[in-house]
Amino acid sequence: MRTFDFHAPTALSEALELLDRGDRSRPLAGGTDLVVQMKEAATKFTYPPSVISLLRVPELQGIEFDQSSGLRIGATTTMADLADSAEVQEHYAAIAEGAAVVGSVQTMNMATLGGNLCNAAPSADTAPPLLAHDAEVVITGPDGQRSLPTYEFLVGPGETALAPNELLVEVRVPTPADRSGAAYVRHTPRHQMDIAVVGVAVFMTLSDGDRIENVRIALGAVAPTPIRATNAEATLKGQLATEDSFANAAKTAAAECNPISDIRGSVEFRRHLAETMTKRMLQRAANRAKGG
Amino acid sequence: MGKVSISLIVNGRSCQIDVEPRWTLLETVREELRLTGTKEGCGTGDCGACSMIVDGKLITSCCMLAPQADGSDVTTIEGLLSNGDLHPVQRAFIETGGVQCGFCTPGMILATKALLDRTPKPTLDDVREGLAGNLCRCTGYTKIYEAVRAASNRES
Amino acid sequence: MAQETKTHDSVGKSEYTAVGKPTVRIEGIAKVTGQTKYADDLTFPHMLHAKILGSAHAHARIKSVDTSAARQHPGVEAVIAAADLPDYKMNPSNRRGVIFAVDEVLFEGQPIAAVLASDPHVAEEALALIEVEYELLTAVIDPITAMEDGSPLVRSAISDVDRSEEKGHVTIDVEQDEAEGAPSNIASKINFSRGDIDAGFAEADCVVEHTWRSAMVHQSYIEPHATVADFDNSGELSVWTSTQAPFYVRDELRQTLGIPENKIRVTATEVGGGFGGKIFLTELITAALAISVKRPVKYIMSRKEDMLAATPAPFAQVELKTGMKADGTLVALKAKLIYDSGAFPGAPVMPGCLFVGGYYTCPNLQIEGYEILTNKVSVGALRAPGAHNATHAIESHMDIMAHELGLDPLEVRMKNAVEEGDPLPSGQPYPRIGLKDCLQAISESDVWKGRRDAAGQANRGVGLAIGGWIGGLQPASAIVGLNSDGTIDVTVGSADISGTNTSFQQIAAEVLNLPLSSVNVTTGDTKTAPYAGMSAGSKTTYTVGKAVKLAAEDAKRQMLDIAAQRFEASPEELSVADGKVRLDGDDEKILTFERLGKMTTNFGARFAPVVGRGTMSTRKSAPGFSAQAAEVEIDPDTGAITVLGYAIVQDAGFAINPLSVEGQMQGGASQGLGIALSEEMEFDEEGRLLNANLLDYRLPTTRDLPPIEAIIVEVPSEDGPYGARMIGEPSIVPGGATIANAVADAIGVRVTEIPITPERVLRALGKL
Repeated sequence: MRTFDFHAPTALSEALELLDRGDRSRPLAGGTDLVVQMKEAATKFTYPPSVISLLRVPELQGIEFDQSSGLRIGATTTMADLADSAEVQEHYAAIAEGAAVVGSVQTMNMATLGGNLCNAAPSADTAPPLLAHDAEVVITGPDGQRSLPTYEFLVGPGETALAPNELLVEVRVPTPADRSGAAYVRHTPRHQMDIAVVGVAVFMTLSDGDRIENVRIALGAVAPTPIRATNAEATLKGQLATEDSFANAAKTAAAECNPISDIRGSVEFRRHLAETMTKRMLQRAANRAKGG
Repeated sequence: MGKVSISLIVNGRSCQIDVEPRWTLLETVREELRLTGTKEGCGTGDCGACSMIVDGKLITSCCMLAPQADGSDVTTIEGLLSNGDLHPVQRAFIETGGVQCGFCTPGMILATKALLDRTPKPTLDDVREGLAGNLCRCTGYTKIYEAVRAASNRES
Repeated sequence: MAQETKTHDSVGKSEYTAVGKPTVRIEGIAKVTGQTKYADDLTFPHMLHAKILGSAHAHARIKSVDTSAARQHPGVEAVIAAADLPDYKMNPSNRRGVIFAVDEVLFEGQPIAAVLASDPHVAEEALALIEVEYELLTAVIDPITAMEDGSPLVRSAISDVDRSEEKGHVTIDVEQDEAEGAPSNIASKINFSRGDIDAGFAEADCVVEHTWRSAMVHQSYIEPHATVADFDNSGELSVWTSTQAPFYVRDELRQTLGIPENKIRVTATEVGGGFGGKIFLTELITAALAISVKRPVKYIMSRKEDMLAATPAPFAQVELKTGMKADGTLVALKAKLIYDSGAFPGAPVMPGCLFVGGYYTCPNLQIEGYEILTNKVSVGALRAPGAHNATHAIESHMDIMAHELGLDPLEVRMKNAVEEGDPLPSGQPYPRIGLKDCLQAISESDVWKGRRDAAGQANRGVGLAIGGWIGGLQPASAIVGLNSDGTIDVTVGSADISGTNTSFQQIAAEVLNLPLSSVNVTTGDTKTAPYAGMSAGSKTTYTVGKAVKLAAEDAKRQMLDIAAQRFEASPEELSVADGKVRLDGDDEKILTFERLGKMTTNFGARFAPVVGRGTMSTRKSAPGFSAQAAEVEIDPDTGAITVLGYAIVQDAGFAINPLSVEGQMQGGASQGLGIALSEEMEFDEEGRLLNANLLDYRLPTTRDLPPIEAIIVEVPSEDGPYGARMIGEPSIVPGGATIANAVADAIGVRVTEIPITPERVLRALGKL
């Protein structure tokens, strides 16, 4: 690697000051993305003059849940902590499932939610679950704090809505209504350790009569950013939660994808997977909503 | 800013080292502390050969910058002996034939220790899940599964 | 939990005290405590780190290399390009004959220049400052079109092809036609035929014809290539390197650098995985750099470099047509095999051609093989080079024909399987072999026995396949010495890549009737060790083990002679047990090994040191076969394949260390599974490797591989120590075909390419 400076601020204000110098220094959390990118230093990569480690900034830490305000996840929360959190598993199953597949035990101990989101890979495993749960990211900078839906935060492959002097502070997820369920699955060539070929998250709320009151379908690795399959969602609103309605929605969701062919899969394969997996996740979310 | 001074505990001993920010924890341990038991297999966190236990958590040290280990408690393969006796996991790996070329072995043993610390009586599925981040090209893993079972039986 | 490894009843014969018993690795404690020194663990005073600049293009002319900015970079000690190298005997026809590319680069990553610095980060920074001007040439990537008349050429014409390395892996007398005539990308051709192929097909009741493809794969040893070299003022070259072949390295360095062998010392450091891919690669560059600066130089390949510029195993295409009679007799086999050798010749087309027609008796054969050059990294050996590609084809056909004729796939194989005396396609007869014994044993595995249950479940299937390897042959020698304290030191020149030193410990202990703890084994360097060939071609136990046995017997004879003189008896009246030499029937006349040790080393000792010497050479190989079975489950909507169970049988001849033999079997099988399911080096049309890392080049993880049942069969070889035959290679050969047959059994369609990825499964099912 080339030479760079290292800072380890112990307060958010300190971290923001360092970032505000405007010299393209990079925030660093777990290192599983940034350190690898710095080693490989591909042509598109601009080498930062310094890295700012965020792991000692207390305002970025912790997971809190309460019934009224929902879930707050600090940006430097590791995937392991997120996946292991009883509250996240209970109320936000898709998020726990996304965090649990990000990689090996080692990767999960190092990789952070903030890092995963800010790296903004189209295949990021935490993104479809956050989209499906209608999560918002909280950003702070010298001009103050702002919130954005996750969908607007992830702007393009490797691109977020962060200004160069802003930091992702936390993610907030609303409390799910009663009779809600969520699920996330991804397809990889090996049984672990791979980048998702396709990732699908579904969040569903059912009425007492098992009608779909609310549904959100989010797909990863099938477009430049993770997307919501809004057409598919529209076909389901108010419908009964049946295999047929799911199959139909899944077809629609597949058509909303805009995947590319790369070494991990062709366009046809990704579309096919999107359909198969959407159908399965709709079923799983519905089962969980029913209390199954 | 040139070097950064970091303080850490490595295998129970306090160390103070001046590191360049671009050094990873792996190369710092290997080159500055001359503890060469931990290996580099890929440099990108994909093979697990560089696994260490830092603050009680299994990590891939090739992805951790040395300054990030400031204030941490680090265990490497060299730290598993106690009073010159092999750790039960080390003994199990030898006895079951879970060691062939030995290059993945330090990382694999630490991953096993981390697994057994969390889950003292793992099922086969737990073992396969816990060691998925450690690639071995020689054994096909079967004797490693046996080693983990032997170690978990021995530790009870 | 894990299935117990099951072994054949005869394994662990009680007549022996040391050999045949499961034995822990002699170097096990050092490995589990992190004390074993691999090449990258070595440092020397004044050592420099080398970083290598590789070609950015797959095919280009080098117009200029400007190293001036790199030389100025603070901390850089030297920058060396082709023009700066010491004189050497360049041979552009061979990968081993070119240190840095001159004029033409032939594959992406081909070395062009080096930077040396004490700080490897500084060296890496300076690499980016070297300016190379390229003139792009057409990159020829697809081997099938590269064969055609009029195809652009991969390179300028070649001659003087050196196939010495390949002979270490498979030693058999076969003529291979090197390319002659008009320049083309066909580097060599080979042909085997027997009988009348047309008459054969006319006789057949079932004729099957398909094209099979197997991807380029990488050995992916967890330790990348690593070498340290030093060159001193007296002209002595020292090399410490991760190699399977220290004497071969010495020989190659002598040939290319012109340094006499007795001025070269090669130390084989512990190898962190070789599998055929660690023969000779980084030693030449590192030695040349050390000679340039007369200081120790360390060159460690990064994983990316190793994937780009080492010596992977080739892509192959096999067009196969086979004919079988209704009673299951194989009557005709016609094959065309095409191996993609990359930019330099060296593809294992010959073994591929042998094995496509070498497993079964077949009166009518026509086999042709081609080795094609392309602008990709040139290939080397991977465990049984060339065999898995051919086996994938023939073993798939055996299943397809059995299915069409309504015959049992195992019985069809048993009916046609070769035995002692049956000919290889090249005409040589097989010596005693155990293929049928392997087939018998696989039928007793849990996986095969469970196939009826699998048949009852949707999307589950069981498949089987066989494979084998002939092996290499090279002379070998060993020394067994008695120390002054009665302990024994065995010295060999073979690199221990698979636990062979432990087997040698067992052999010496057996011959001398000693506990294992009294025997140590060391691989010496090329100056201090007696000659041994490459630890490749599965011949180390077979040849060096034999030499160790002979050396131990020689040491024993010397000890008996000394005792006989002391006791005034004849050696026949003496026996050796428990570290003592006794005169039979006389409890007073005992000499411990320690006493003998002192008698042969003390000041004024009457007797000469006991130095047992064993040497051997043989032209008789001991081929090894393996039979494997897999149970798989397919997700018909995603194509995902789960391996639910796997069994491997291998004929070891005699398992000197059953623990180690099982480990080799399971390891080889797991590599076969990687080849079958997920491993593939992928290139774009410009010859750039797209997955030069261990994330997208997918090795099986623990989540992919269930416990593998290992069953050892023993059909003794004629010449091996205690009847041992080759161990290391047969296990990798059947995996691709085993999975292909299991998948076909599960979902009723054939995938004709390996790796069988989920996407390929869905395509075969017509779902994409």
